[in-house]
Amino acid sequence: MSATIVQAEAGASDETRATGKSAGRRFATLVVRLGAIAAFAAIMAYFVVFAPGFTSTFNLINVVEQSAILGVLAYGMTAVIIGGGSDVTEGGIDLSIAANMGLCAAVYATLLSMGYGDFLSVLAAIAVGMAVGALNALAVVGLGILPLLATLAVLNVAAGMELTLTQNTVVGASSPLLGFLVSGSFLGISALAWALILFSALVIAIFHYTSFGLRLYAVGGHPEAARAAGLSVPLYVSFTYVLSGFCAAVASVLTVSRLSASTPGSGELLLSVLAAALLGTVFSRRFVPTMGGTLLSVLFIGLLANGFQLLNVSSYWVNGVQGALILLVVAITSFARGSEGSR
Amino acid sequence: MTRSMKGLVKALALGLAAACSLAAISGASAEELSLKGKRVGVSAIGTDHYWDLMAFRGIQDRVKELGGEVIALDAGRKDQQQIAQLQTLIAQKPDAIIEQLGNLEVLNPWLQKIRDAGIPLFTVDTATPHAINNTTSNNYNIGAEIALQMVADMGGKGNVLVFNGFYSVPVCKIRYDQLKYVLSSFPDVKIVEPELRDVIPNTVQSAYSNVTDMLTKSPEKGSIGAVWACWDVPQIGATQAVEAASRNEVKTYGIDGSPEVIKMVMDPKSSAGAVAAQQPYEIGRTSVDNAAKFLAGQKVPPFTFVPAVLVNKENAAEKGKPFLDAAEKAGVK
Repeated sequence: MSATIVQAEAGASDETRATGKSAGRRFATLVVRLGAIAAFAAIMAYFVVFAPGFTSTFNLINVVEQSAILGVLAYGMTAVIIGGGSDVTEGGIDLSIAANMGLCAAVYATLLSMGYGDFLSVLAAIAVGMAVGALNALAVVGLGILPLLATLAVLNVAAGMELTLTQNTVVGASSPLLGFLVSGSFLGISALAWALILFSALVIAIFHYTSFGLRLYAVGGHPEAARAAGLSVPLYVSFTYVLSGFCAAVASVLTVSRLSASTPGSGELLLSVLAAALLGTVFSRRFVPTMGGTLLSVLFIGLLANGFQLLNVSSYWVNGVQGALILLVVAITSFARGSEGSR
Repeated sequence: MTRSMKGLVKALALGLAAACSLAAISGASAEELSLKGKRVGVSAIGTDHYWDLMAFRGIQDRVKELGGEVIALDAGRKDQQQIAQLQTLIAQKPDAIIEQLGNLEVLNPWLQKIRDAGIPLFTVDTATPHAINNTTSNNYNIGAEIALQMVADMGGKGNVLVFNGFYSVPVCKIRYDQLKYVLSSFPDVKIVEPELRDVIPNTVQSAYSNVTDMLTKSPEKGSIGAVWACWDVPQIGATQAVEAASRNEVKTYGIDGSPEVIKMVMDPKSSAGAVAAQQPYEIGRTSVDNAAKFLAGQKVPPFTFVPAVLVNKENAAEKGKPFLDAAEKAGVK
C-alpha cells in the first residue's frame, strides 16, 4: 500500500518536473528514444533480409542459448541500478559481477574436480557469490563508499581470489547437472535456453509484478521519498547487491556447463553486461532500467554478433558497434535526464 | 534381349570411362588445388600474438588464393565468444572448418559437435582426436633442440628458471616434457622450484617482475644460468629483466620466433640465448592445402609438420634474417 503511494508520488513529481521544464524537451526525448528503437529494428530487419539462415528456429535458439550467461548477469546489474538509482556516477552499479562469476565458476569447478557432488558444489558457488555481493553491500551501504569505487575494489578482490584458487589455469569439470545443461532439451529448446527463459520470467515477475519490485523502484528513484514513506532504503539497496552476487553464481554454473571448465578471463564480460543493462533503458518510457528492457538488449547484443557472423562481416565490428550504441544510449539518457541532472 | 544387354554393357563401359576420367581429374588436382565455390570457416581463439596473427592470416590468404570464401572468426581470447562463434559456424554449414589454438578442454566437446554435424575439421597447432589433420611444427624436435642448446650454453650445469603456466596447452606440454627428458641426462642442470607461471595478458610485464624477483632472491652471479619458457613472449620480459639487473651470465630461451625476439638473439649484447623460430604463416597455409586435398577426395595424414629453425647466437645473422624479412613483408613488427 505504502509502496503504491510512494510510486504514485514519484511518478507525479516526475510529471510536474517534466512539464515544468518544457514539453519540447519531452517531445525531443521521445523522438530520440523512438529513433534508437527504430535503429535497433532497422538492424534486425536488415539481418532478416540479408543474413542467410538468420531467422531459422535453430539459429534463434542458438542465440538465446548464447545469451543465457550474459542475460543472467545483466539481470543482476539491472537490479543494482534499479535499487541504487541510475545516475551513472553516483547511482547503483556492480563492476564486480563478471569477476564474481569467474570466482564462483572456479569454486564450482574446483569442488567438482575434488569429487564433491553437484549439490554441495552449487551450494558453495551460490554462497560465495552472495558473500561477494554482501561485501559490496557492506562497502556501499555500510561504509558509504561510492558504488563505482566500492565494486571496483571488490572486483579486484574477487579476481585475485579466483587467481589464487585456480593459479590462472583451466579447471575442467563434469557432472550430471552440467551434462543436463549441455545436452538436455525440452520442446526442442535446449536446457541453457530454458534457463534464460525461466530466469527471465522469475525476475520480471519479481521486479515488475510485486509490491516488492515497486518499492525497489521507489528506493532507487527517490530515496528520500522512500525513506519518508517508511521503507528501509539500506536494506533494499543491500538486497540488490546480494541478488547481483546470486546472479553471478547462477551464471557461473551456466558458464561452466558451456565451457566444460572454469577458465580465466571471465572479467571480460563486464562491458557487455553493462552495455545490456544500459541499452535496456531505451525500451522504457521513462528511461529507467527494466528487466524486460534488459532482456531485449541482451538478445539484441546476441543477435548483433550472430547477424554479423552470418553476413560474414568481421567480428571486430561487433565491439565497435556495441561501444557506439552504449555511447548513444548514455548520451540519450543524460539528455533525457537533463532536468534531473541538477538533482 | 541381346540389344538390351548390349546397351547395358555400353552403359557400364561409359560409366567406367567416366569414373576413370573423374579419377584422372582428381589426380590432377593434387598439383592444382582449388577451393572454388567452397566456404571455409576459420576460428581462432585470439590474434594478439605474432604467431597467432600470422597463422590466422596464412589460412585466410591461402583460402582466397584457392578461390574459396573465408568466414574468419577471431574470438579475442574469450572462450565464451569462441564457443558462440563455433556454434553459429556449425549452423552456417561451411564445407570445412579450420580451428586455431584455444583451450582444448573447452573446445573438445564443440569440435566433436562439428564432426557430428558432418563438417570436416582441420586444426592448426591443436592436437585433438576430432581433427582430420593437425598442422603444426614438430614440437618434439623443437622442445629437445632448444633444451639441448640451453644445456650446451650452460656448460652442462647450473640452475634454470622455468615458466610453466600453460602445461594445459598441448604444444607447451610437449616442449616442457622434452625439456625434462633432455635434463634427465644432465643431472647438474636443475630447475628452480617452484616453477614460474607465465600469464596472458600482461605476459611481458609479469615475466619481467617474476624474473627480477628471482634474481634478487639469488644475488650471487652464476647462481642462475638460464630462463626457459615454452613460448617467446615471456622470454622478452625475462631478457629485459636479466639485462636490467646486469646479470649477463643468465641467458634466455623460448619458442615461436617473434621478430622482436629474433632481433634480440641477433644482438650479440642481448641476453636472449636462442629461440626456435616457427613458420606460422606457412603452417596456416599448409592447413588450408590439407583441407583442399581432403575436399578433393585425397588422403590426408593426421598431422603435418612445417619445419622450424633454431636461431642461436652463432647462426642468428644468417638464419634469423629470413624470418625478419617475412615479418616485414606481412607488415608486422
